[in-house]
Amino acid sequence: MSLTVTIDGTPVEVAEGTTILEAAKLVDAWVPTLCFDEREAPFGACRVCMVAVEGAPKPLPACTTPCRDEMVIDTHDATSRRVATAVVELVLSELPVAPEPHTELAQIADRLDVTASRWPGATHDVGHDFRHPYLAFQHELCISCGRCVRACDEVQGAFALTATGRGFESNIAAGLNAGFEDSSCVSCGACADTCPTDAITEITLLDGVVPDRPPRPRERGGRKRRSLASE
Amino acid sequence: MSQNLVELIRRHHAVAAPTALEVLKEAVEDHGEVTDDDRRRAAELSGVPEAAVYGISTFYDDLLVRRGERHVRVCTGTACFAATGDAHVDQIEEALGLKLGERSADGSVSLVETVCLGFCHSSPAVRDGETIDAGPEMTTRVADDAARPAPEPAWRSLLPEPVLTEPGDWSGLRRALTELGSDELLKQVEAAKVRGRGGAGFPAGTKWKFTKGATGDQKFIVANGDEGDPGSYIDKYLMEQSPERLLEGLALAGFAVGAQHGFVLTRSEYPLSKPALDLAIAQAHLDGWLGTNILGTGFDFDVTIVEGAGSYVVGEETALLASLQGLRGTVSARPPFPAERGVFNRPTVVNNVETLCNMGFVATHGADAYAALSPDSETNGSKLVCFNERFVNPTIYEVPFGMSMRELCEDVAGGLKDGRAIKAVQIGGPLGGILPASKLDTAFDFDALAAEGCMVGHGSILAFDDQTDMREVATHLLRFGAHESCGKCFPCRIGLKRAYDEFASEAAIDKARFEQLLEALELGSLCAHGGGIPAPMRSLLLHFPDELGLA
Repeated sequence: MSLTVTIDGTPVEVAEGTTILEAAKLVDAWVPTLCFDEREAPFGACRVCMVAVEGAPKPLPACTTPCRDEMVIDTHDATSRRVATAVVELVLSELPVAPEPHTELAQIADRLDVTASRWPGATHDVGHDFRHPYLAFQHELCISCGRCVRACDEVQGAFALTATGRGFESNIAAGLNAGFEDSSCVSCGACADTCPTDAITEITLLDGVVPDRPPRPRERGGRKRRSLASE
Repeated sequence: MSQNLVELIRRHHAVAAPTALEVLKEAVEDHGEVTDDDRRRAAELSGVPEAAVYGISTFYDDLLVRRGERHVRVCTGTACFAATGDAHVDQIEEALGLKLGERSADGSVSLVETVCLGFCHSSPAVRDGETIDAGPEMTTRVADDAARPAPEPAWRSLLPEPVLTEPGDWSGLRRALTELGSDELLKQVEAAKVRGRGGAGFPAGTKWKFTKGATGDQKFIVANGDEGDPGSYIDKYLMEQSPERLLEGLALAGFAVGAQHGFVLTRSEYPLSKPALDLAIAQAHLDGWLGTNILGTGFDFDVTIVEGAGSYVVGEETALLASLQGLRGTVSARPPFPAERGVFNRPTVVNNVETLCNMGFVATHGADAYAALSPDSETNGSKLVCFNERFVNPTIYEVPFGMSMRELCEDVAGGLKDGRAIKAVQIGGPLGGILPASKLDTAFDFDALAAEGCMVGHGSILAFDDQTDMREVATHLLRFGAHESCGKCFPCRIGLKRAYDEFASEAAIDKARFEQLLEALELGSLCAHGGGIPAPMRSLLLHFPDELGLA
C-alpha cells in the first residue's frame, strides 16, 4: 500500500513503513541528523531531526516516525529548528575541542549557524588509544550517537563495541574496555566510517611502519561525507 | 535496543541461560564488585558478547560499587532531602569516615547513596547491610553500628469498601475464566477505563487490545515494579503486602491477550519485594491459580520475578524491557511499541503494578462498579496515595479521585508535624509539578492537576515545609535527573548535567538560557525523564522565582 504525504508543500508517494526522514530525502528537503546512518536501524537519540507534523502537539523525530497517509510535514518549523539548534549547542559544549571542519558534526553545526556553545562546564576527559594498527579512539570526541556500536552490530556482526556509562559520562568501548586489539574487532573500519566526530578514526597504514613517525588518525579533509552528499 | 542481541538472549533463555545482568549481580553479592573475570563469565553463560557485558556492567548503580564487608546505602531521595536537607548524609559520612562511593582501605566498610528505599514515611532512611533503618535517630544508630529494622506503617482505605488495601482473593480470575471469557474480560477492562497508575495515565485496556491484536503466538505480560520515583512507596506495599493481587492481575492480562507468561521487574532498593512475590507464586501454584490448565479451563500461566540493579530510567517501559532481558537500561524510540515488539521481540503488555492490582476488582465486579469507586470524579477506580515524613500521619491511603489536595494533606494526613506549614507539595514523583500551598484547593485528579502543571503520577504527595529553600529543591531534583539520565538522547544526557551544574554553583541562573534548555528538554527528549524534569522547574519558576537566584 502506498501513502501520500506532503513535505514542505510538495506531495510525495511513499510505501507504508517509510519514515518521515526517508520521505524528506525523496523531495530533497534537508533534515539535520547526527545519530542517523542509512545503513543502520534508526536510533532516535540525537533529537536534531525534529520536524513539525500538522495536528501533532509537538515536534516529532523524523528518523523514527513512520509516515501516515495525508500527513503534512514542515521541515522548516521554527520550534523544531530551535530544539535542534539548542541540542547541537549542547553537543559542542561537551567536547574539549571544536570538531574538525570535515566532520559531520561540524558541518551540521555550521549549517544550523551554531558557531559556539553558550554552555560552560565539564567536557569529556581526553582519552586516546592508538594501540590498534588501524583504528584509533579519541574518547573525548564521542557524542554517544551509537552509530559505531550499531555498525559493529548490524553491519559487521562483530559485536566488538558497546556504549558505556550513563548520562553525561556515557561513552564507547571495545571488548572489555581493553581496546580494539583485545576485542572481537575484525578491523573492518565500519565504526570509523560512520563516526560523525572522529572519536573513532582509521590510522594510515604507513604511519605505523615509518620510523620516527608515531601513529596518528588519518586526515580526512576534503572527503565529502555520505549523508550530506545529496544536498 | 539491538534486535540481534535480543534474539541472542531469547535463544539462550530458551535453554535456561541466565541473563548477563543476573550473573553480574551475583558476582557483586559474592565478592563485592565486578571484575573482568566476572564479565567474561557473564558473557559465556548468557551468550551476550563481551563488549555488551562491559556496557551493562558500567550502567547500573549496583554494579559500579566496590562493597566492603559492611555496605551502607544512605537514601538521598526527595523525602529524605525534605526531612533533613541532606544533613543525614553528612552525618553518616562523618561517622563512617567515608565519602559517598568510598570503601575503607581495609575493605571493612563501604558507603554509597541510593534513591530511594521507600521509607519516605519515616525519613531519613539507610540500608546498613541487610537492615533498613529510618527515622530521626537513624544516623546515631548507624554511627554505633546498631541499625535496627524500621517499622512499616499500616495502610488505610477511605473507601466504604476497601479495594486495593485488602488481600487479593483470586475471585476475578475465577470469574474471568469460568464466566466472562477473554473477550468479555477485555471489554470490561476497556469499559472500566483503567488509566495507568505509573505516571503516564495511558488506558490499560488499549494496551491490552493492541497486544491481543498483534501477530504472533507467543506473548508476554510485564508488571513494571520499578517504582523509582523518590517519595513513592505504593508499589512496594502492593508487591510486599498483597503480592497475590498483582499475580492475579498478571494472569488476567495474560488471559485477555493470549499470553502464557508474565514477568515482574522489582527494584533492588526494595529487597523484600522479590521474596514476597516468589513466595506468593509458590502458594498460587499450590492453590491452582498459576501453572497449567488453571481451574481445568486449559489456560496456562506462570510468572517470573526479576530484580533490577539500580537505575531510575528503567521505570520507562522500553528501558524496563531492556533491563528485564539483562541489557543496559536505556530507552528505545517508539514505535515499535511493546504491544508489537517487547520481551524477546514478541508482543508484550507492560503495565504498572498498581494498574494490574486494579484488574481483579474489574473482573469480579465489572466496569460500572469500578467507575463508582470515585463518585465525584470523571476518573474511574480508586488510587493509592502516600505521604512523606513531614506529615503528622504519613502512610498509604486508598482514596477516591476528586478529593482536594487540601483535604488529603490536612484532613487525611493531618497537616505537618511540629507546627510547620506546607510551603509546597510535589505530587507523583520527581517529574511531577510542584503545587504551592496557595493552590491546595486543586482536586487530586488527572485533568485538574494537569491544569496546574502537575500530575497524578505515582500518587506520592511530598511536602516541603516552610523552611525549605526552593533553589535547593531545584538543585536536588536536577542532581537526581542528571545522575539518572540513561545517556541515550542528547538533550537529557547533556542538558540535565548543564542545568544541575549551574544550579549547584553559587552563580545566578541565566533565566533566558534556562528556559530555552527547558524547551529543548520538553520537546526534544526521548522519554518522560528528560521531558518531565522541566515540569517541577516550570512550577518553581512560576511560583518561587525570587528564591531561584535568577539573572
